Amino acid sequence: MTDIPIHEAMMAPRAAWKVAPVLSQIRWSGFLGYALLAPSLIFLGLFTYGPIAQLMADSLFVRKGIGAATEFAGLTNYKAVLADPSFHHALVNNVIFAVLTVVPSLVLSLFLAMALVHSTRVNSALRAVFFFPVLVPLVAAASLFLFVFLPGVGLIDHYLARFFVNPPNWLGNPDIALYSLIGVTIWKNAGYYMLFFLAGLQSVPPDAYEAAYLDGASPWQRLKYVTLPYLKPTIAFVAVISLLNIITQVDHVFVLTKGGPSESTSLVLFYIYQQAVESYDIGKASAATFISLLALLGITLTSLRTLERSFGGAA
Amino acid sequence: MQITRRLALGGALGGALAASMLAGSAFAQAPTNIDLFFPVPVDGQLARDMASMIKEFNDGHPAIKVTPVYTGTYDETLIKTRASIKAGKPPAAVIMSANFITDLKIENEVSSLEALIKADGKTGEQFMSQFWPALRGNAVLDGTTYAVPFHNSTPLLYINGDHFKEAGLDPTKPPQNWAELVAAAQKLTKREGEKVTRWGVSIPANYDYLGWIVTAFTMSNGGRYYNEDFPGEVYYDTPSMLGAITYMRDLIEKHKVMAPGVTQGPAATTAFLAGQTSMLFASTGSLTHIRNNSKFQLEVGFIPKNVRNAVAIGGASLMIPAGVPEAQQKAAWELIKWMTSPEKSGWWSRATGYFAPNMAAYDLPEMKDFLAKAPQAAVAVKQLQFAKPWFATYKTVPVRKALEDEVQAVFSGKKSPKEALVAAQKAADEILAPYNKETALRNF
Repeated sequence: MTDIPIHEAMMAPRAAWKVAPVLSQIRWSGFLGYALLAPSLIFLGLFTYGPIAQLMADSLFVRKGIGAATEFAGLTNYKAVLADPSFHHALVNNVIFAVLTVVPSLVLSLFLAMALVHSTRVNSALRAVFFFPVLVPLVAAASLFLFVFLPGVGLIDHYLARFFVNPPNWLGNPDIALYSLIGVTIWKNAGYYMLFFLAGLQSVPPDAYEAAYLDGASPWQRLKYVTLPYLKPTIAFVAVISLLNIITQVDHVFVLTKGGPSESTSLVLFYIYQQAVESYDIGKASAATFISLLALLGITLTSLRTLERSFGGAA
Repeated sequence: MQITRRLALGGALGGALAASMLAGSAFAQAPTNIDLFFPVPVDGQLARDMASMIKEFNDGHPAIKVTPVYTGTYDETLIKTRASIKAGKPPAAVIMSANFITDLKIENEVSSLEALIKADGKTGEQFMSQFWPALRGNAVLDGTTYAVPFHNSTPLLYINGDHFKEAGLDPTKPPQNWAELVAAAQKLTKREGEKVTRWGVSIPANYDYLGWIVTAFTMSNGGRYYNEDFPGEVYYDTPSMLGAITYMRDLIEKHKVMAPGVTQGPAATTAFLAGQTSMLFASTGSLTHIRNNSKFQLEVGFIPKNVRNAVAIGGASLMIPAGVPEAQQKAAWELIKWMTSPEKSGWWSRATGYFAPNMAAYDLPEMKDFLAKAPQAAVAVKQLQFAKPWFATYKTVPVRKALEDEVQAVFSGKKSPKEALVAAQKAADEILAPYNKETALRNF
């Protein structure tokens, strides 16, 4: 092989033309760079960009008649999706779900991280305890909660029954079911985000706290003026990944409610599933997928920009 | 050609070896490889039972090699079957939810079995006559056979005999009609002040289950739910269904003997097993599970009637997807006939709790012994004489959900039964409209 260090090989295509004398070596290193990228590129092409292209094509076709072939129909599917009340319902549910999951998850995980920041033996044990839900696959967690939420017999009602006359039907009441799902999601994810905050807290210089102590800052002031400003990049990062998690994970909806009762827990991803599988309308499902893909892309771009800014514009 | 050349080339080979090669090429033809897609709606044990059943078939049929492919739930099996048809490589046989056959037929995704039946020297009618009459409606569509019943169920009323005795009721006489059901439920419901510690009755109201139970109540009320002969019509906004939904609503709001809101299937079963509910509407498919886990005297009864005894069947059928090559179709047909024979039908029934679709299964001594030991399983079989086909329309699932979403709103106290049924009818009619436009409402 060559003597080129890996990082140089990776940078090669960009740096190549500047270093004219060793042309053959550069060609070789350029090739090596692409060769190293090839496995990822092939898989991305086959399993990510290929399907997206197929999806875009499918979204433009409509079946003419029952059991008939498809026909090009322009944006008909997109209009149908945007006019569908079930889609609006799923969209509203998803926004409520996202806001009420992301914000409490962030607050809770930051609180946990700050409480457990010092590495004592007890704290390490507690960190493991709070991290544990992350290790449980979402489907398995949802299956567990099916029984935790059982009306009357479940774990929650078993304890609540001592305080309340008739505890609510957690998954069976259309006014409550979405909030039950939110609860499961927060429980599942807070431990994961706690890890990022623990790492972030290491970067807060002890001098800053010392100075704050000397100035007689209250705990609230220390949080507001010292901890949070240093954690800004971490907060932005965690906010982005938690938002993406919320939109791309619906395993628990499948297991716990299947979007019910009365569509009260139907999320956008679940709506797509219903169109594709239950209504067998591939065009409409593709259109809805493409719309949500655009939304995701938009969210990611804006948040990446926010991220860059919070890292001090260091991109 | 092949053999002579081999013989010529193989001068070094002994005569015996050459002879064995000849024999080998005559008999050990490569077996026809086929896939069987199968869902497991109940529990993990069934996947192993299926594997041992297929192994037995393969051992007895050297010319065919069946690979069982586990495909998840009924819905997932439908997705995977459709995906494989689209990819041009359909499995030779699929165990499909019995009421999806209509939709698959409308979309031209299922093969007619008539030619295969004819090759055996039978008519479709003669072939289907070995199965319970109630099962034929979901397998024979417009006079053509598309599917063969594999395992089937009906809803039953499960009762806790200990609670019945405690409340002064006779556990051997479960409620027969709607009035008796309310009366029994009122005696069985236990209250401490405002708090209910035991509900009289429970109805699973998650998607799929709810539609099935509403069908049972509507049919018991003299209704039909859908047009058995034309998949473009459902009868939601009708007096018979209004009566059924109002009765169920009254169990919650007027008589206060059923928990409000939606109780999911597993929750309803668990509460019944824990003694928190005295009566439960559930499938015969749950019988083995409930019988093995109940610590009380378990009795079962028919679905109580208002106008007549009637329920819809449930369960799954074997079918051959469209586009399967002829050799594979023939192999699949051998498998289908074997799996639905009286012996196998009975064996699978005893393993699962579903009833055996093949009537002759009940004449076998093993089955008679089993029913003597498990008289509850016999009730399901008796109820079969009142059973009718399962709702199957164009786009069965969304049409069913249109009703279920509304009935769930009634159970949660958000809509009146009439409002709900008007809305459900409207939503269902919209989904069915494209089909009607091309069939009943076609312009000539």
